[in-house]
Amino acid sequence: MTNMSRRSFIKTGAAAVAGTIAASSFLPKGWPALADEKNGGYFEQGFGISDELCRKVLSEALSKGGDFADLFFEHTISNFLILEDGKVNRASCEVALGVGIRTVKGDQVGYGFTQDLSEKAMLAAASTAATIASGSGQKPAAKFVPLKTKNYYPVTTLLSSVPLESKLPLVQSLNEKCFSLSPMVRKVNIMFHDQEKRLLIVTSDGLKAEDHRPLSFLQSTVVAEKNGRWERSGWNFGGRREFSYYTPALVQELAQKSVDRALVLFEAIQPPAGEMPVVLGPGVTGVLLHEAIGHGMEADFNRKKISTYCTMLGKKVAEPFVTIIDDGTVPYLTGSINFDDEGTPAQKTILVDKGILTSYLHDRISARSYGVKSTGNGRRESYQHYPIPRMRNTYMLAGEASPEDVIKAAGNGIYVQDVANGQVKIGEGDFAFYVSQGRLIENGKLGAPIKDVNIIGNGPKMLANIIMVAKDFEFAQGGGGSCGKGGQGVPVGFGQPTCLVKSLTVGGVRG
Amino acid sequence: MKQELYDLADKAIKIAKAAGADDCRVSINGERFVEISYRERRPEGIKEATSRGLQVEIFVNKRYSVQTTSDLRPQALKSFIEKAVASTRLLEEDPLRTLPDPRYYQGRQNIDLKQYDPEYKKLTPESRHNFVRAIEESCLAKGGDKVISVTASGYDSYSEQAHMASNGFDGYVEYTAFYGAAEMTARDEGNRRPAEYNVAIAINRKDLPRAEEIGAEAAARALSLLGAKKIKTETLPIIIENRVAGQVAGGLLQAMSGRSIQQKQSFLADKKGQKVGSERLTLIDDPFIPSGLGSRTFDGEGIAAKKMTMIDAGVLREFYIDWYYGRKLGWEPTSGSPSNLVIPPGIRSVKEIMKDLGRGIFVTGFIGGNSNSTTGDFSIGIIGQLFDKGEIVHPVSEMNIADNHLKFWPRLVEAANDPYTYSQMRFPSLVFDSVVVSGI
Repeated sequence: MTNMSRRSFIKTGAAAVAGTIAASSFLPKGWPALADEKNGGYFEQGFGISDELCRKVLSEALSKGGDFADLFFEHTISNFLILEDGKVNRASCEVALGVGIRTVKGDQVGYGFTQDLSEKAMLAAASTAATIASGSGQKPAAKFVPLKTKNYYPVTTLLSSVPLESKLPLVQSLNEKCFSLSPMVRKVNIMFHDQEKRLLIVTSDGLKAEDHRPLSFLQSTVVAEKNGRWERSGWNFGGRREFSYYTPALVQELAQKSVDRALVLFEAIQPPAGEMPVVLGPGVTGVLLHEAIGHGMEADFNRKKISTYCTMLGKKVAEPFVTIIDDGTVPYLTGSINFDDEGTPAQKTILVDKGILTSYLHDRISARSYGVKSTGNGRRESYQHYPIPRMRNTYMLAGEASPEDVIKAAGNGIYVQDVANGQVKIGEGDFAFYVSQGRLIENGKLGAPIKDVNIIGNGPKMLANIIMVAKDFEFAQGGGGSCGKGGQGVPVGFGQPTCLVKSLTVGGVRG
Repeated sequence: MKQELYDLADKAIKIAKAAGADDCRVSINGERFVEISYRERRPEGIKEATSRGLQVEIFVNKRYSVQTTSDLRPQALKSFIEKAVASTRLLEEDPLRTLPDPRYYQGRQNIDLKQYDPEYKKLTPESRHNFVRAIEESCLAKGGDKVISVTASGYDSYSEQAHMASNGFDGYVEYTAFYGAAEMTARDEGNRRPAEYNVAIAINRKDLPRAEEIGAEAAARALSLLGAKKIKTETLPIIIENRVAGQVAGGLLQAMSGRSIQQKQSFLADKKGQKVGSERLTLIDDPFIPSGLGSRTFDGEGIAAKKMTMIDAGVLREFYIDWYYGRKLGWEPTSGSPSNLVIPPGIRSVKEIMKDLGRGIFVTGFIGGNSNSTTGDFSIGIIGQLFDKGEIVHPVSEMNIADNHLKFWPRLVEAANDPYTYSQMRFPSLVFDSVVVSGI
């Protein structure tokens, strides 16, 4: 069911082992590895989706008029492999196949989808989409020109061609590593996820775009016991990565991070409550940008005047050393896309340029409404949804300070290390993010570890309050980052240098 | 359609068995839905589709996997299941992974849960549009000159599910769902544009509030947030509104699952029979509420549903134990997941309670936050109204509460008389004493 709320949310890791695990490949043998022009693309070869058929379906979608129509074919295979109590004893695989058909008239959308790729079923879905318009029929372009883009996630070996026999030792070795690092480790859960999404977009204005999007991650969750107390933590690595990314060195690092993060919690306290300076450590804390500004810059919210940022374009919102970018072109990062789910090539979009609010994040509908070009942010979860403006990888550029100086400048406050999830109210600009791990800052130095604290702020106020940025920029290398909006989840990435926010409300326990 | 789904399930089981599976369980679902949204008095989106999915759980050679597909073409399905069985063999052995002992299928209640509304068939494109238009109009009217934007939407669906297990279980359900919602963004001082939404979901069309009420309430909720500010960090009583009370209770439920307990990720694991909340905290899992959103006669594993008192006057009585984790723990299975959850309502209204509480916060929404099932610690942002002696002072934003479930629920002092029925969690508004609310 649709989620009405515009309180978009995010999480940085996979959900707990909710009903899923990983198996092997189910691609029928002999299917093309990648599109090849001579023989037609993946969907043409595998499912008989010809240009002629697409033209027929698009004609039906435009049978009552409309500005344009598009088809979004998808074939996705998702695998999970799960280790619990020392054994890889659970696998799951999910196959999604279908096409979504959209008719657009101004800012109005008609949408139908079907899992049956027969002409009859597609025409029926197209006639549903057509009902948004009520004029005379339009004809789609006579020719569909293939879109050529750079590939930001080239793979030499398809994830689906990696046999289960190769994945099992990877998962087992991570489990063994975690246990070997401390006698306090009592339980270890490992999840390996890999997904291959094939998609084909055909638009009535004559574009044809085909992509292969890999996504994978390896995640460990460690439960430790000390003097009758239990704590849990974990970490994950991944992205639009192929299997060879998961080297023994990476497994070692992942195990070490997971175990260290669990053990430090025995010393952790919940911090005091109230307003205080907050230092964001490098990497995953970029979630703060995602919530505090990213969502508010999605153009649908601004077109409707329901974002707190809708009157701020061209204005100064932050100090000159603050530059914030949303970027689909970072190699192998979780939120990267060669082109968006409407066929617009990915790009690097500057949201805040040296403190000045520069651009919203557009899909085709909002771009048309603003009279600009789409920024390539039209994304969707699957063929069951129509695209809306969404972020890709959102990050702040490095500054010049040293991280130590940033911490010193905070005086007394909180240092944020890991962020588990976040949420924003677009209209107010109020946002929250959940700190699963961090430190107190006392007299300019890192103090006791902290955990389980929600931090609240207001986007525009927070931006204005960024008073120092360090040079230690990092992209978060996790593969489980997923952003929810309008009931749709899409993979996203983050990056952040250490930076100091003058004041945020820390949801601690002591008055 | 029932027979068609059963035939398909039967076929899937036969394919799996022929491929060497020792056992398997198949679930097939089909859904038809229509969703319409309006903005600026015209359709913003119209979406409609029929979909199907098949899930097969495979037990072979003491190994287990679960596979889902929407590609139901006969050859594709056969190949999918055969490959699934072959790949399952490659996993590691886990003798505890089996279908439930069939005796747990016994005792299924033979009652009509009234999950299908015959009114569904009478819906027309026109009636659907009229419903959403009426929601939008009432929201616009109530919002008046404070309206920046209103989006109204309506949704209806017909779903059916067939479940079959190779050791003698089958079950079928069909149900309808209706949904009406509106969201309004309001004009406020400066750059703040407070937005609130109102949504009602029901199995029967007639159980939804009137369209006019849905829209007007969304507007009233948005207007109530005008002028929100944060206050100094303070220890106060709070009332958590019925519709959002489930979010905090979710932190308890997470720790009540067999998996959390067996994987040492539950702060409640050793608390059975002990006090975890005040006397006011009684939590009942009732699968038999007519037209309840979580009603059922069997659960996802086929285990016959029964009414359970999970927490009785503060004392933890039951956990959610599925077949597999039950075997791992050596415990009797109950059910792996909640059905309808009920906290019995009290006798006073929120208004009456507010009068007695003095200064406090009426929490109408949450933002961000999380709960640690291993330790019971939680921290979550709140949105709501500061009140004093029954009168609203002003709305609050950018504030937070943080606590530990084992310290928080003992401070539940009262339940209001307003159980929320548009959710599986049919909770009344809940009153907690002495909560640290952080702000400035």
